[in-house]
Amino acid sequence: MMEKNQYQKFKTRNTFTQIFIWSFLLIALFIFSIPFLIMIASSFEEFSYVLPYPPKIFPTSLDFSAYTYVLTQHNFLTALKNSVINTSITVVIAVFISSLSAYGFSRIEFPGREVLFGVYLFTLMMPGFLNIIPQFIVLKNITFIPGLSHGLVGSRLGLILIYTATSICGHTFFLRGFFKSVPMALSESVVVDGGGHFSIFFRIILPLSKPAIGTMSIFALQGFWEEYFTAKVLVGANESMITLPLLLQRLNGEHATRWEWVFAASILALIPIIILFMIFQKKLVIGGLTQGAVKE
Amino acid sequence: MKRMLLTKKRLKKGLKGWLSALPFILPGLILVSVFILYPMIFTIQISLSDYRIVTGEITPVGLLNYKNVLFETKEFWYAYRNNFLYAIVTVPLIIFGGLIFSYLVNNLKKGQTFFKVGFYLPVITSWVIVSLVFKYMFGNSNTGMINYLLVDVFHILDDYVPWLYRQWTGNGAIWLMGIWKNMGWAMLIFLASLQGIPKELYESASIDGAGIWNKFRYITISAVKPTIYFVMVNMIIGAFNVFIQVMLLTSGNPNGTTTVLQYLLYNRAFSKFEFGEASAIGLISAVTIVVLTIILNRTFLLDQNRNGE
Repeated sequence: MMEKNQYQKFKTRNTFTQIFIWSFLLIALFIFSIPFLIMIASSFEEFSYVLPYPPKIFPTSLDFSAYTYVLTQHNFLTALKNSVINTSITVVIAVFISSLSAYGFSRIEFPGREVLFGVYLFTLMMPGFLNIIPQFIVLKNITFIPGLSHGLVGSRLGLILIYTATSICGHTFFLRGFFKSVPMALSESVVVDGGGHFSIFFRIILPLSKPAIGTMSIFALQGFWEEYFTAKVLVGANESMITLPLLLQRLNGEHATRWEWVFAASILALIPIIILFMIFQKKLVIGGLTQGAVKE
Repeated sequence: MKRMLLTKKRLKKGLKGWLSALPFILPGLILVSVFILYPMIFTIQISLSDYRIVTGEITPVGLLNYKNVLFETKEFWYAYRNNFLYAIVTVPLIIFGGLIFSYLVNNLKKGQTFFKVGFYLPVITSWVIVSLVFKYMFGNSNTGMINYLLVDVFHILDDYVPWLYRQWTGNGAIWLMGIWKNMGWAMLIFLASLQGIPKELYESASIDGAGIWNKFRYITISAVKPTIYFVMVNMIIGAFNVFIQVMLLTSGNPNGTTTVLQYLLYNRAFSKFEFGEASAIGLISAVTIVVLTIILNRTFLLDQNRNGE
C-alpha cells in the first residue's frame, strides 16, 4: 500500500517535470527560431524597396512572387546545379580517399607512420584560410591540363581539388579512430582466405564502418554545401561557376537589397540540407566522432 | 655482422610496410602535400617577401611585412583582440547552453527528435544565410526587429540604435550570432555523450532523493567532462576562423574596431593585394592557435590526472 503511494507520488512528480521541461524547451525553441521565422515571413512579402513596418515574425500574406523571381532570375539554377555537383563529387572523393588513408594509418605498420600522422594532425590546428593564397597560386600554375590553359583558378576541378585536400586530414583522423575499433580477428579471417589489405578494406572495414562513414559524409556534405570563403576566392569571378552561398551574398549586395529575394533564395538553399538532416538524424553516430578524438 | 643483418632486416621490413601502405595513403598524401603542406611553406616565404601575383615576382624583404602588420596600423590589434574576445564571450555560453539543452532534451520522454532538429537548425544553416538574417534584424532604423522591439514596442530606448555601426554593439551582434549558431552543435555532441551514461546511475540517485540539479551536477557533468573539452577546443579554434559574419554584418567598421584576423587577411590579400602582409597575418594567427591548443592540452591533461588520483 505504502509502496504504491510512493510510486504514485514519484509518477506525478515525473509528469510535472516532463511538462515543465517541455514548456521551457518550447519557449527556448521559439526564441531560437525567431531569425528563421523572420526569414520565412519576409520571403512571402512584396517589399518593393520599402521594408515592411512593423517587421513581421509571422507571415500576413502568401505572396510567392519572390520565389518565382529567384527561380527564374539571377542564375539561381546555375548556382544550384554547381552546388549540387561540387558537393556530391567532393564528398564521394574526399570520403573515399580519407577512408583509404585512415586504413593505412590504422591497420598497416610502416616506419614513420606516427610522425606522418602527427603532421596531418598539426595541419588541423592551422586556420583554414592560412593557405588560401598559395593554394590560389598553385592552382593558377597547374596549366598542363588540356582545355584549361589558364590554370585551375575559376574551374570546378580546382575547387573540388582544394575542398578534397583540405578535408583529408580531418576525415582521416576521425575514421582512423573507427577503423581501430574494428577487431583485428575479423580481418584475420580474410587473411586466412588469402586476401590482402584491399580485401580487408573492402570486405570488412568499409561495411562495418558504414554508420561512421555515413555520419561523416553528412557533416562533410553540409560543410561543402555552405562553404563560402574558398569558393569566393577561387571561382567568385567566374559567373558560370557561382555557388549558392556566393549567389546569396550577391543578392544581398546588389543595389538596394530586396530582402524578400534574399530570404526566398536562402530558404530554397536551406531546404535540401534540412531534408537530408531529418532523414539521417536518427542514424548519425555522433558519440563516436568525439570518442575518436578524445581518446587520442 | 649480426647488427648489420638486423638493420638490413629492419630496412626490409620497413620497405615492405611502406609498399603495402602506399596504395592506401598515397592519394591522400599527394593532395595534402600539394595543397596543404607546400602552401604552408610557401606562405612562410610570401610573408617574408614582396609578392606580385601577376608577374609572380618574389622579392625578399625580411620582416618588413610583420613590422607593417604589427605596428603600422591599429587594425591588427583590434582583430587580434576581437578574436580572443569572441572566444572568451561565446565559448562558455555555447558550452553552458549546450549542456542545459542537451540535459533537458535527454530527460524528455517524448519529442526528443523534435527539439533536437529544432535546436540544430541554425547549425546546418549556412553562415551566409544567418548573417543576412542578423543583418536584417539589427537594421539601423525601425525596420530592424531589434530596434522596433526596443523603441516602438517596449519603449526601452528613446531612439533607434545603429547597432552594426558602433564598436561594441557591432561586436555584440557578432557574438550573439556565434552563440546562436553553434549552441545546437554543442547540444548534439553533448546529447550523444549523455546517452552513453547508464540509466541506473540516475535511477539510484533518484531513489536516494537527488533532485534534477544535483543529478546534473554530480552525474552529468562528470560524465561529459571529456566531451566538454572536445567542444571547447573545437569552438576556440573555430573562434579564430570567424569571417563571414564580420564581412556581412559590420565589414570591420567603424575603423576596423570589429574586424577579425581572417577578415583582415582577406582584405589585405584580395582587396589591397598585399599578399605578404596577409600571409604574415595568417602565420601570426596560426602560431597563436598552436600555442593556445598546447596550453589547453596541458591544462586539461593535468586536470584529468588530478582527478585520476
